[in-house]
Amino acid sequence: MSDNSEYAAKAQQTFSAERKEDIFVLILSAIAVVLVMTGVIDKDTFKSLFF
Amino acid sequence: MASGGIGVDYSLKGLPRMMPGLIVCFILGWLALQWDSSIHQWSGSFKEAGAILKDEKSGKPLLPYEAYKQEKNARYAEKREAYNAQLDAHEAERALASPADAKQLKAPDKPKKPHILQPADYAQLVEEQAIPGRLAFGKLMIELQLTYVAVLLLGGMLVRNTLGLPEILRAGTVAARPLIKPGIVILGAYYLWSNVLKVGVFGLIMVLVFVLGTAVLISLWARKAKVDDGLSGLMSAGVGVCGVSAAVAVAPVVNAKPRDFFYAIGTILLFGTLGLFTFPYIGQALGMSQPVFGAWVGTAVLNTAQLVAAASWYGHESLLTANIINIVRVSFIPLIVLWAIYFYVVKPAAAAGGSSEKIDPWQVIKDKFPIFILGFFVMVTLNELGVFTPDQRDILGKELLKIFFAVGFAGVGLNIAFDDLKKAGGTAFMIGFVAATLKAVLAAVAVIAIGTEFFSVH
Repeated sequence: MSDNSEYAAKAQQTFSAERKEDIFVLILSAIAVVLVMTGVIDKDTFKSLFF
Repeated sequence: MASGGIGVDYSLKGLPRMMPGLIVCFILGWLALQWDSSIHQWSGSFKEAGAILKDEKSGKPLLPYEAYKQEKNARYAEKREAYNAQLDAHEAERALASPADAKQLKAPDKPKKPHILQPADYAQLVEEQAIPGRLAFGKLMIELQLTYVAVLLLGGMLVRNTLGLPEILRAGTVAARPLIKPGIVILGAYYLWSNVLKVGVFGLIMVLVFVLGTAVLISLWARKAKVDDGLSGLMSAGVGVCGVSAAVAVAPVVNAKPRDFFYAIGTILLFGTLGLFTFPYIGQALGMSQPVFGAWVGTAVLNTAQLVAAASWYGHESLLTANIINIVRVSFIPLIVLWAIYFYVVKPAAAAGGSSEKIDPWQVIKDKFPIFILGFFVMVTLNELGVFTPDQRDILGKELLKIFFAVGFAGVGLNIAFDDLKKAGGTAFMIGFVAATLKAVLAAVAVIAIGTEFFSVH
């Protein structure tokens, strides 16, 4: 039983890391949108990255 | 381990450990996108070169490069002028029509920019009177669907299982995989709520029938086959819904042991990896349209990263459909946890005449809901409100998305280790694998029967 409760705690910890990951994803997405809306990233940016 | 599911803690403290692997994934992502840009350029040039040679055979002389370029641009300018006139007429007609009739009026098609050969390719074409070899190579690569997605996944898997992955790169390559998720969020700029609801309704039916059906089928079958509750619970959640995310969510409920977790993940990974590399070719062989393929992988492939990769491999339209189905599917993680609570805790307790610990369903939903999909809904709403210009939509939903996906896919490819896949085994593996295969076959029949129109995102 101790194995199970340890593992349950670990799974809970992993899930909390997933929640933090989702928050990071939302922040990164918001930054991307702001950069596009303000014109810092425009339609030539992507092409300029490649030969 | 499977991608997009085990949670990466992006704290500043962990950043130095992640940096080397992240940098490698960025470099690999850039190289793959460069490859993608080149083969698309060459493939487009192949068609143009073929058209030039055909004209030449029917008596049209080959022009000097500058004259050829001018002629192409002049023809495009003419088409643009005609298009602008048609557009004005269309707008005038719309202004006079009733709102219902105005909706029925079809806008004229915008002319595509001409594909002009590069000077070196044109010179070679004129000299050899044949299509240059690299253009034919580009066309072949596109036909074989060896785009940036395939290069990153196949290349990464090859490197991981032959040369291995140095310890210093491990944390960073794992941290690169969730970078697929911001791509999923910003892709929301491409949808209107009407698209999301239309495809979402069919997605919901598919999810209810196939995804929940698989979870229930595995639970019942595994109990009959006397497989441990821990293992069968993880398998039903993982194979039914969303790979590792669902398995992690269900693990504490079913008292899973670490061994169960590895078995379940091994099975999920093995099926997902096989699906990822075979479904695009099966879809092509069955003549599936892009939206139909998107609906199929959205239902049948077992985790977010793998289904996003398979759909991107097939095409952008396929990705648009698969993304909605995936959003519906991952929203079901809390429901799967509730099912696991009922099947593995409440029902056995009631059968034994006792009572189980009281569970608050709302708390389960709140804890297990993947909140990143709220970002997707915000993006759809912003697009509905007309916040994005067409250019901004393309930058977000095509260009930036490719950068996020490329870095993420580099991480996915480098983390497909055959050693992890070997962890699948035993009766539970057989049950999980058969159920996943059955789901894939039945879902293919269903999406083909439902058809392109219901799954397409305009």
